[in-house]
Amino acid sequence: MADSFILDQLKKSQIIELLKDGKRLDGRSFDESRELSIDVNVIPKAEGSARARLGDTEVVAGVKIQPERPFPDTGDQGMLICTAEILPIAHPNVETGPPQPPVVELARVTDRGIRESHMLDMKQLVLEKDKSVIGIFCDNAVTDHDGNLFDACSYATTAAINSCKIPKFEMKDDQPVKIENEFNEPPITTLPVSVTMGKIGDFIIVDPNLDEWSILDARITITTNSDGNVVALQKGGSDGFTQDELIKCAEISVKVGSKIREIIKKNSSV
Amino acid sequence: MGGRDTDIVLLDKNGIRSDGRKINETRKVTIKAGVLRNAQGSAYIEFGDNKILVGVYGPRDVHPKHMSDTNTGILRCRYHMSPFSVGERKNPAPSRREVEISKVIQEALLPAVILKKFPRTAVDVYMEVLQADGGTRCAALTGASVALADAGIPMRDLVAGCAAGKAADTLILDVNNEEDQAGQADLPIGYMPNLEKITLLQLDGILNPEEFKKCIEIGIDGCKQVYEIQKKSLQEKYFTGDNN
Amino acid sequence: MSNDKKRHVIPGEIIVTGKYRAEQNTVLQDDKIMATVIGLSDIHDESVRVIPLTGGYYPKDDDMVIGKIVSHSAMSWEVDINSCYAGMLPASDVFGRGFSSSSNDLQSKLANGDLIIARIVNADKTRDPLLTISGRELGKIDSGELVNISPSKVPRLIGKRGSMIQMIENGTHAQITIGQNGLLVVSCEDPDGLLKAIRAIELVEEKAHVANLTDQVSEMLESKSD
Repeated sequence: MADSFILDQLKKSQIIELLKDGKRLDGRSFDESRELSIDVNVIPKAEGSARARLGDTEVVAGVKIQPERPFPDTGDQGMLICTAEILPIAHPNVETGPPQPPVVELARVTDRGIRESHMLDMKQLVLEKDKSVIGIFCDNAVTDHDGNLFDACSYATTAAINSCKIPKFEMKDDQPVKIENEFNEPPITTLPVSVTMGKIGDFIIVDPNLDEWSILDARITITTNSDGNVVALQKGGSDGFTQDELIKCAEISVKVGSKIREIIKKNSSV
Repeated sequence: MGGRDTDIVLLDKNGIRSDGRKINETRKVTIKAGVLRNAQGSAYIEFGDNKILVGVYGPRDVHPKHMSDTNTGILRCRYHMSPFSVGERKNPAPSRREVEISKVIQEALLPAVILKKFPRTAVDVYMEVLQADGGTRCAALTGASVALADAGIPMRDLVAGCAAGKAADTLILDVNNEEDQAGQADLPIGYMPNLEKITLLQLDGILNPEEFKKCIEIGIDGCKQVYEIQKKSLQEKYFTGDNN
Repeated sequence: MSNDKKRHVIPGEIIVTGKYRAEQNTVLQDDKIMATVIGLSDIHDESVRVIPLTGGYYPKDDDMVIGKIVSHSAMSWEVDINSCYAGMLPASDVFGRGFSSSSNDLQSKLANGDLIIARIVNADKTRDPLLTISGRELGKIDSGELVNISPSKVPRLIGKRGSMIQMIENGTHAQITIGQNGLLVVSCEDPDGLLKAIRAIELVEEKAHVANLTDQVSEMLESKSD
């Protein structure tokens, strides 16, 4: 979608000239992300929810939890599926209809970030081995697009899952039955946080807004966990990164990621 | 008592409903106009526990071109529920119910909008239900009218939505989800208050002719109450802070 | 000649009843004249109109507009003029009548993202508005900052016989090119002057219908920039 967003030449030149001076159009430094606000429980009827505002980008994540049949090869684990969609209200260029490749990528990167970090101890989400497990769905809806949906979805998802309540179920006649008004805390092991960096020429900037995003040569999204370890990576765009650049990006993602983790923790703790 | 078996007491002996309301009381409605950064017009509405975000784009180019009309702009509406908006998670792909509601809302707004001045264009109305609790189509329609006005689309009138219905053998205003599930009739209405015309009307359930007539009256009264909130939301955005 | 019945209105509200002419942004229903947009109703000499506070730009012949090139065919450029219709700039306008098509030629003159100041030659509803950039003060825009305001506020920004815009230009030493479509380009050698000019423009947009706007802008321009 960013491909069809054409930035006017004046602004494009402005952005590039400022980069040469070590500056960005909105006054941020290269390794600074925009102001992040997180509100949880915005959809009280869901089992968990969060709204993340990263600058003017806004995402609402909702968590739905229900019993499911486990996958055949993982009968001893619960199920976790994260999705993302860009709502047509978010930007004039968003098309309705089956998801286009950029949206599919957004959903899968968001899902991988949570899954690969083992944010939830899936082994604790089993009702009856091989028969019935707890299925957790976290669906992201982008409601306003000002660039860097990867990070906004990551933060909304992490906050929503971190603050969710898992209904208690009991097995009756081989069927899981919900026990009303009784909940468990989610088995959280770590808080994954992604940081996306964009490359314009030789300059690397954290959390590009839509104007910057539309002229990026390449981008990389790096997800880290609470221990500062890298758990997921995604490179995009038509240019490449050098090894040195990648190492620098990894360092930035740990540094910036830990600041963001604090914000998410503060706003999503019960 | 009518409707399906339920543990919920729809109406107690004092005439109070399951959520504490009287029979001719709507749920709490709040509307904020102009909440989205990119959309040309927008509104966020809370109608009871319904939470709906509406964005309007247009008039703008129509793609594919063969869908455009050389004599007038066209109105396209999309009513969509987020997977987390309902009790049991809903698949993000549009369901037949959403397709039908989109059409019904489009036909409720069409009499209100004036698009002759914009041939070959489309006005797109996107209604996103973030949380549902019965009466979403009326709430979405209500929010859509505000978003259209916010976008500057010329309109003959706003359209306000509210449902009337029957539960526990009593005619009630603004049916919530529980009442819809266990009640005897649900009659969603869309109404243009200044032109005094009904532009959305559906019925689920059974009403005799007298009940039908009364229900419409009750529903229109509800729509008029909702209209005041629509008006207020636009006045709040455009007319406050003015020394005029 | 009464100009005093200005009222806030929203679509569907009845402004007056009786023998009046329904003008811009109003509609006649039986004997009632109703507003069709959010704005200020204005009754003048038995005609009723609404000054809109919302809405985009509707192309009119001879308007000067600022546009962004978004694509091209072999024979013309498509120009985003911040309106419900895209503008069309024929290649012949730039290359002359005897032009023979070749996509490369177009790209070299005006590429995607380039901004132009153009005049609307023909705003006929049956096709996209035709633009021209041949003329004094028209052409590609090479420098400055692009500002976007609501098109309904442009008349207020210009002011009576240009008084408001001249006041801002003189007070900041900036040059401001105004498109009727709400797009403006502001240039100033002094970065503080540039910032001040943009703030003044934002002030006008925010308070377009406030009575003492001119005084407020004048005050703002005279204060020391922080």
